[in-house]
Amino acid sequence: MRHVAPQDSLEIRPLSEPVLLILTSLAGHPRHGYALIKDIEMLSSGRVRMSTGTLFGALKRLLEDGWIERFEQDDTARQKQAYRLTGTGRRQLEAELERMKQLTRAGFARLRAAEAL
Amino acid sequence: MKRSYELLLILYPRAHRAEFSGEMRQVFEAAAAEHREQGRAAYAGFLLSELIGLMAGAARAWVTPQRAAQAAAARYRHLPQEVADAQQRVDDNIIGMVHPIANHQFEKARTFSNLEREARANLRMVQERYGMES
Repeated sequence: MRHVAPQDSLEIRPLSEPVLLILTSLAGHPRHGYALIKDIEMLSSGRVRMSTGTLFGALKRLLEDGWIERFEQDDTARQKQAYRLTGTGRRQLEAELERMKQLTRAGFARLRAAEAL
Repeated sequence: MKRSYELLLILYPRAHRAEFSGEMRQVFEAAAAEHREQGRAAYAGFLLSELIGLMAGAARAWVTPQRAAQAAAARYRHLPQEVADAQQRVDDNIIGMVHPIANHQFEKARTFSNLEREARANLRMVQERYGMES
């Protein structure tokens, strides 16, 4: 499958589910690792319990891409590092949610059209 | 269980361990405590999911080609060629270990483990020659 990016967009690519869930979780406020796992479990209605391997693999890629950054909290140790969205990360999340919204709309329109036949 | 988790973290590239192993351990311990309270089945399911996640995460950390190449370039940039080559041999044998472990081919994994030990001894020797600390 080939993805064609709109010409005037930032680098838009469909996000994997772990990445989408992490960005969505951080959209509210900064969170550290365990809080992310718990929030993602809640966001997905208990369907996704991310393992530490998956979580920190995704966090590393997001840090390298500059979509999230470490957030220093006075009361947290190095082992309880918090993360937050950067401007780029926020724009990527908005673009992905918009893409999903359009796809959802188109999908429902097709279903309705099929039912009307 | 904490000790087993720490051992499995060895599967990750050194740079990844240096950056995240403390946080990973801390999150694992918190999640393990929570699942232990939910009973044996929940705890066993959690441990299995963690094991698979760690294996897959370690494999991804090593084999994502572009990122791995960039990381290797950054890691070896300031090293003398001989040291960089010795370090590369250590890393290659660690990569070689991941797939057999994931597929329960322990004999093959042991071969890579022995090669890795030899490569590491060679690396220490080369580093000493260059007056570097291992």
